[in-house]
Amino acid sequence: MSYISELVSSRELLANLTIREVKGKYRRTVFGQLWSLINPLATMLVYTIVFSFIFRARVVTGDPSGITIYPLWLMCGLLPWMFFTRVVNGGMSSIVANGSLIKKVYFPRIALPLSTVGSVGFTWLIEMGVLSLALLVFGSRLLPWLPLLVLMMALLALFAAGFAMLFSIINVYFRDMQHLVSIVLQMWMYLTPIIYPIDLVEEASAKYGSWILTVYRLNPMERFVEVFRNFLYDNRWPDPTDFVFCFLAAAVTFAVGFLAFSKNEKKLAELL
Amino acid sequence: MTTPAVVVDDVSKRFRMYHEHNNSLKSALMRGRRSVHEDYWALNDVSFEVPSGSTFGLIGRNGSGKSTLLKCLAKILQPDAGVITANGRQASLLEVGSGFHPELSGRENIFLNGSILGMSRKEILGKFDDIVSFSGVEKFIDQPVKNYSSGMYVRLGFSVAVSVTPDILVVDEVLSVGDATFQKRCRTKFREMKRDGQTVILVSHSMGTVKDMCDQVAWLDSGRLVETGDASDVIAAYTSTV
Repeated sequence: MSYISELVSSRELLANLTIREVKGKYRRTVFGQLWSLINPLATMLVYTIVFSFIFRARVVTGDPSGITIYPLWLMCGLLPWMFFTRVVNGGMSSIVANGSLIKKVYFPRIALPLSTVGSVGFTWLIEMGVLSLALLVFGSRLLPWLPLLVLMMALLALFAAGFAMLFSIINVYFRDMQHLVSIVLQMWMYLTPIIYPIDLVEEASAKYGSWILTVYRLNPMERFVEVFRNFLYDNRWPDPTDFVFCFLAAAVTFAVGFLAFSKNEKKLAELL
Repeated sequence: MTTPAVVVDDVSKRFRMYHEHNNSLKSALMRGRRSVHEDYWALNDVSFEVPSGSTFGLIGRNGSGKSTLLKCLAKILQPDAGVITANGRQASLLEVGSGFHPELSGRENIFLNGSILGMSRKEILGKFDDIVSFSGVEKFIDQPVKNYSSGMYVRLGFSVAVSVTPDILVVDEVLSVGDATFQKRCRTKFREMKRDGQTVILVSHSMGTVKDMCDQVAWLDSGRLVETGDASDVIAAYTSTV
């Protein structure tokens, strides 16, 4: 329990490390923090051109919102996904990258991966704010859903933090991990209905066997993306099982990550 | 007799020297969980007490285990056997300016570094002016620290660290930083800390510094404690073996 109290007392350190990353990232760039918006916009443009004009992916109509705009639908899934991958990638390397600090000063090490969640989360908040404005302009009635949306964002942050803590430890033992994880994340993205609607998988599953959909829906990110779209794009209550699935996935992942981290934390200076 | 500031009780620290390290997944999978290593005991059953309010020196040859012991005292390394008990708030200064972000200004780095060393924002605000004037970088405080000269960088780091006002300060060979004026200021600072009843544990190769500053000294050789006691006696015994 003293570990927990130490953690609470280091919340200022966490805040300062987060500010360090947020401020340090865009120092000496002309556009500064704007880059964090340019990046997702560029990705949106590429995916929209490729999947909506070239591959002519089906555009999903929001039910009951009635919006039929591919780029907005895409971003409702892509922004949470990008947050997730950036936290996992950044958090994973946070321990190794701060090796010199760990070897010289004692402080609760867990502040390092968690500050990645904080700084990436800060960018994500801005992105989601802009997306919400755009959705409002195009007729989404998402305002009543905002509190639940924030709750989902917190759940996704816990889910991502769990992975970040776990992988940051594994990465100290096996530096291969960062390369492996970037490949896995790439595959994972295509196994999640972010750029294509889940209807396509449902059709395939109806044709080739219902197990496809069952396995496909074991992916927690699929549930997260679904719930985010329910709130933002469709403006309706999510399926309760989706919500429970997200909640459990976040709780279990965070607990596993936290345990793995706190068990190995004291050995880090030696291992680096 | 007051309670000692730090009790080091039978502390041992082992390092593994890997002949073949399992730091890639491939080698771990190929060889199973086994990795080939040899144990090296950097510290062997070291026990001593640091009296409260004293300045305590660790001396010995290179590789004698001083730095390992210091890192154990600073809680950076975990001893494999034995216990270190510290009574009071502890800060360590093993490297000055660790955790400075080069792109951030001196001001921002004071807050960042201070919180890494365990100070609260309020505390740093209260001491901010002292820190800046002690370091002597007033004019450049809003410049990014990457533009600092190495002396300014080190002085700023040192000023933040000594402002923590811990009960116990653990210092590695950092007194050799800065120019003569700054070194003099550091010595005065250490004397003040001693007067305020703070305990200082330091490592130094300069016997002059140790003799000048320490009341008590522990002499380590090959990870074992050779002698501990009054500074001048132990230093005399140590210098006669060199």
